[in-house]
Amino acid sequence: MDTVYLLDLFKKLLGGLPLTLNLAVFALLGGFAIALLLNLLRTTRIGNAVAGTYIFFFRGTPLLVQLFMIYFGLAQFEFVRSSFLWPLLREPYWCGLIALMLNDAAYTAEILRGGLRAVPRGAQEAARVSGMSRLQILRRVTLPIAVRQALPAYSNEIISMLKSTALVSMISLMDVTGIAREAVAETWRAVEIFLCAGLIYLVLSLIITRATSWAERALSPWQFGARQ
Amino acid sequence: MTNNLPAVSVKGLHKSFGSHEVLKGIDLAAHDGDVISLIGASGSGKSTLLRCIPMLEIPNSGSISVGEAHITPRDGKLSRADERTARAIRRDLGFVFQNFNLWPHRTVLQNVVEAPMIVQRRNKAECRDEAMALLEKVGLSDKADAWPNQLSGGQQQRVAIARALAQKPRALLFDEPTSALDPELVGEVLKVMRDLADEGRTMIIVTHEMGFAREVSSRTIFLHQGLVEEDGTPEQVFGNAHSERCRAFLSGYFDRA
Repeated sequence: MDTVYLLDLFKKLLGGLPLTLNLAVFALLGGFAIALLLNLLRTTRIGNAVAGTYIFFFRGTPLLVQLFMIYFGLAQFEFVRSSFLWPLLREPYWCGLIALMLNDAAYTAEILRGGLRAVPRGAQEAARVSGMSRLQILRRVTLPIAVRQALPAYSNEIISMLKSTALVSMISLMDVTGIAREAVAETWRAVEIFLCAGLIYLVLSLIITRATSWAERALSPWQFGARQ
Repeated sequence: MTNNLPAVSVKGLHKSFGSHEVLKGIDLAAHDGDVISLIGASGSGKSTLLRCIPMLEIPNSGSISVGEAHITPRDGKLSRADERTARAIRRDLGFVFQNFNLWPHRTVLQNVVEAPMIVQRRNKAECRDEAMALLEKVGLSDKADAWPNQLSGGQQQRVAIARALAQKPRALLFDEPTSALDPELVGEVLKVMRDLADEGRTMIIVTHEMGFAREVSSRTIFLHQGLVEEDGTPEQVFGNAHSERCRAFLSGYFDRA
């Protein structure tokens, strides 16, 4: 192997890292906010149907199809092109981010629902009987417990979302995978290039795994044999 | 503190779950300093009655007053104004659950300071000092930084009592506080409750601990199928009940022991 070439290649691929991380972070943040909203919707009957349908479609179709629908599909409609959203929707970055975010929201909503269901009813009753408002109960008791319960499953979603960002290379974005594909098209050295790209994702996943298991311990010390 | 207004007053309380009528018109008044034991077979409605007072169950009709706050739900629903009154009532009551219901993600001390700090928005240092004093009182000051799941059931229930006391409640409500405990842990919880009664706290206690009810309460009420069947001093209820059912219920208890 040509080490000089590899080093050079790494540098080049790392140039896509900011975009990869940017997409992953904002998709996760936005996805979490929408997921929270979907779970709040679930408390009413109509809202429950809306949330259920949303989740059905976004979990049931490939992310790549969703991405193409938003990037290529929406542009066919005149009212989209003439709407105030068009400056956003004609940018591949925003289309990519929106697709990732909407898709992530569907999965995160289900993870969060599992966490919410695992909150002991008694803990919520104790909060109610102490005179807390609905919002205070949600903020002080329900969500903190639900998030802790959901964390192991959510760390999966974080890793999965990180890797899903690679799909935006299909709509001309130059993230790590986008740069790799371009390099392969130029040099045909597919093995080295994709190995290097894979390695970058692998290291990121390792960091996420470590960080989330640290967070699990920090947030729920009593579950890990903490002694006082 | 004693005045004419009862600390807790329940009038004409009806509560149904679906078509099953659990409470069929209950009147109850607890004056400051009263220690009332609610006894009765399971299904008699005593826990439901207790849970209706802080609106954990919304009554179908009847009214609840705690001090000045008064609430009259209609058809098992609370209006927006009722909801505010209900919160005021809850702030004025301490409730102790059968299953302790401590917040698992907060330490013992955090459990106790939560309501004063978050609901009553009082000074943090002051809440902390009071909470430590309360933990001292229930004999758990050395567990302040422990997590609830590191404690025995008896210890958890004592923390739950400290948490209820931290609200400086007008009255304390206990919903079968020792029923989920191993027999050897019951005594430590009853001792704390006995101390509270001796201090002159207003308490309403749903219990199966007949010995405790007889010794500690100032009034004992026997519920049967959603109605008050017997109401009097413990001497009267345990020694010389008018109601045949009440006598049968109690002899069932004391024969077993």
